[in-house]
Amino acid sequence: MCVLSSILSDLKNIVGPDRVSDSPEVCLAYAFNPFWGRDVIVRPDIVVLPRTPEEISQILKVSNEYGVPVTPKGAVGGGGHGGPLRGGILLDLSLMDNILLIDTVNMKAVAEAGCSFFKLSQEVFKRGMLLPTAAYGSGPSVVASAVDPAYAFGGTRYGGNINLVEGLEVVLPSGEIVRVGSMAYFDKEFGPYHRYITGPDLIGLFTRSNGAFGIITKVAYRCLRKPRYWAFNAFAWPSDMLKECTQAAAEAASIEIFDIHFNNRVRWDFKSEGPKIPENLYFVLTFAIDGFNELELLGREKAVREICESYGGTYLPNVGEDFHAVWPGDFLPEEKILPPRSTLPAKIPRSYVYLFDELIHPWSWMPQIYEKMARLCADYKLAGLVVDGFVLNNLCSSTQFTISLNDKDSDAVKRYIQCRNEFRKWFLDKGGTFQYRLPPYVPDKVWANQPDTLKLLKRIKELFDPNNVLSPGTFELFEER
Amino acid sequence: MQCASCYYKGPIVPHNWRELPPFEWSPPNKKCPSYEYFKFRAFSPVGRGNLASIVFDDPNFPVTDSLIKIVYTCTGCGTCSEICKAHDPWTVIWALKEYLTSRGIKLPNPLPKLFANIENCGNIFGTEKPPPVNRNIPKKGRDVLFTGCFMRFTQPNLIETIIYVLRKAGLNLAWLGDEELCCGFLPGQQGDIDKMEKQAQQNVKRLREAGASRIIVSCAHCYKALRDYYPKLIDTFPFEVVHISEIYARLIEKGKITFNKKLQKKVTYHDPCFLGRHSKLYNEPRAVIESIPAVKLEEMERRKQWAYCCGSGAKAISLCYPDFSFSISKERLLEAKEKANTVVTSCSSCVLQMRRAAAKLGVEIYVQDISEIVAEGLE
Repeated sequence: MCVLSSILSDLKNIVGPDRVSDSPEVCLAYAFNPFWGRDVIVRPDIVVLPRTPEEISQILKVSNEYGVPVTPKGAVGGGGHGGPLRGGILLDLSLMDNILLIDTVNMKAVAEAGCSFFKLSQEVFKRGMLLPTAAYGSGPSVVASAVDPAYAFGGTRYGGNINLVEGLEVVLPSGEIVRVGSMAYFDKEFGPYHRYITGPDLIGLFTRSNGAFGIITKVAYRCLRKPRYWAFNAFAWPSDMLKECTQAAAEAASIEIFDIHFNNRVRWDFKSEGPKIPENLYFVLTFAIDGFNELELLGREKAVREICESYGGTYLPNVGEDFHAVWPGDFLPEEKILPPRSTLPAKIPRSYVYLFDELIHPWSWMPQIYEKMARLCADYKLAGLVVDGFVLNNLCSSTQFTISLNDKDSDAVKRYIQCRNEFRKWFLDKGGTFQYRLPPYVPDKVWANQPDTLKLLKRIKELFDPNNVLSPGTFELFEER
Repeated sequence: MQCASCYYKGPIVPHNWRELPPFEWSPPNKKCPSYEYFKFRAFSPVGRGNLASIVFDDPNFPVTDSLIKIVYTCTGCGTCSEICKAHDPWTVIWALKEYLTSRGIKLPNPLPKLFANIENCGNIFGTEKPPPVNRNIPKKGRDVLFTGCFMRFTQPNLIETIIYVLRKAGLNLAWLGDEELCCGFLPGQQGDIDKMEKQAQQNVKRLREAGASRIIVSCAHCYKALRDYYPKLIDTFPFEVVHISEIYARLIEKGKITFNKKLQKKVTYHDPCFLGRHSKLYNEPRAVIESIPAVKLEEMERRKQWAYCCGSGAKAISLCYPDFSFSISKERLLEAKEKANTVVTSCSSCVLQMRRAAAKLGVEIYVQDISEIVAEGLE
């Protein structure tokens, strides 16, 4: 019996034959491809659908026995997370999607790893609480929202979703199941009540780890009380007043506005319906303002208005309300991003929205960041630049740039790559960091600004995972072994 | 991007801070029937989209049985494209089927035989003698009924019912009868557009010769084919195509259909995928049902654009993958049963699928075509 057959047999014994597949086509659907294109295809050899941490534990023991890499994945591959770097076993956690606890008295929620963030968010919301909401499609899993760099609406006051995570259940590479933070008390009468239990905070060990230190199987969130009163306001500035726009956002962020979002007008120009931005205005700040009573709301609205107007901003009626009415990525130009079609219906040119790297930088740097990217796009003749900036509570920005690009146009793709590389170099030289750690997409230099951290992480990785079976590419260890 | 909205549990968008998402943004948890059954991402819309993007660009990509199964277990329900307007996965999957067909693949059984039947006999059943219809119906006229071969062979009494109802309302329909051919929807949906085009040409020629200006269709698949696909395949398509529920709704509004009987029953309504999501006809069938005295319409949670497939899967799933098909039907029937003892629908494929599934699975629910409940109210 060959090794693959033995592994398959062992896996089927653990989860049952229906939840294991080595079909090349089934595996291909999990390939590492951050867009609905196929820049890089790295297919797992086997896909397994576990339902419990105990099953994952046994799978990891098998993977250690054979030295086979294991990559965990939720349903979403928005940025290509969770794709394997090279073959091995892929664990699709989508079937582990139960909500285990919603405690309205102590304002806590616990869900399994594969539960979508939106599903949990809805259930929490129905019970008078809320979680800052991720800005992605149907939402990644609760784990991805927590430990990947998910910056949600509400981030201006609360930061990343991880700031609301109080506990995790994790299966370590050895197969041990551990609970850290508040999850240590999940099965006690108090429940998952406090993140900072005895000893150091170990949640951070698994944050941004891309599954390298363990597979998270449960997440405990601290929930927020749902405010009763909301207002959504927008202000805009002309193209030569980006600095003033940025200063207004920083000042509003410092008074803990629920959310501030930054865009250029192109987002609205793409949309066929809804309010438009006046011709003379270019940069837009959208504010989500809340209050537990009407007076509080009015006071906050007034403060935001005074700040924006003092920096020359113009109030835009309806824009803010429309922006937050529902939160799909609805600025995508539908007719431009349809995939290829055959004879029915009529052929539509192939074109996609291409994402540049997602960046983390001081909010105060936004004018330079934007101007650099806009200038490079102009130089490389790339059109349709959209900027999305989440103003965070530490006065940093989580910024993403997108452009529209026909990926059948090899010259345009080449220009896009040149533009991206030139920007990356400039950005990294300043000390910038990326939201995503996505080998091989994000350049090697991502660790260049933090060599000591990388060294420590590698040592921890060696201790936790001596066979390097879990998400082995995460800390550049792939090439070394 | 791979947001997974098309199949992942939970709404498409979150709450808007003040309230939960409106109905149109909040599909129920189960979205894609084939993903729910097979569980692997490859069987989801985005998974098939990934495969499509690779297959389209690689003429040598091996077409294996596994690939065929992944592609042809898409029910075509279209929920994914209702969710994802940007990537429109259902159309991508349809284009993939068309591409694979153009490469001469072997379709899952029994599709090749059914397509040969269409070629040889003009219907999917492969026989030239359909069951008799006990009505004297003219072959020529302005308003022509198009029954489709599925209804013609499996539910001939429904044709009689339609003629009965419309004659009572003063509308005398013509019908091509044995001259009418398969609409071509089945091969078209499975990627053989040429075959659908051929059926379209022959049917349009015969409808022209019959003097038709308005075509009335009861089967949701025929309706979709005639209303939306034929005009794209035929240079001149000078017909108005209306669904039977639209005709009933208009006649009720004009007072030409009046009900004599109180039915005193609670019913629920199942939106056929190709009448609802694919054709956006949601209100007319409901208006018809609600106009029948003493009928109470109880809506299922999954309704209108979020209605779950009945299991027929544009006929192909029930024919090629019966176990999968019945598993979908079971879920839909039990959902309907929670609301009422009668489920009404507006497509002959849905009617037959749900009747067969109810009998096989032992679900005690009465399945009625919309024409049947209208006729019941008239008696």
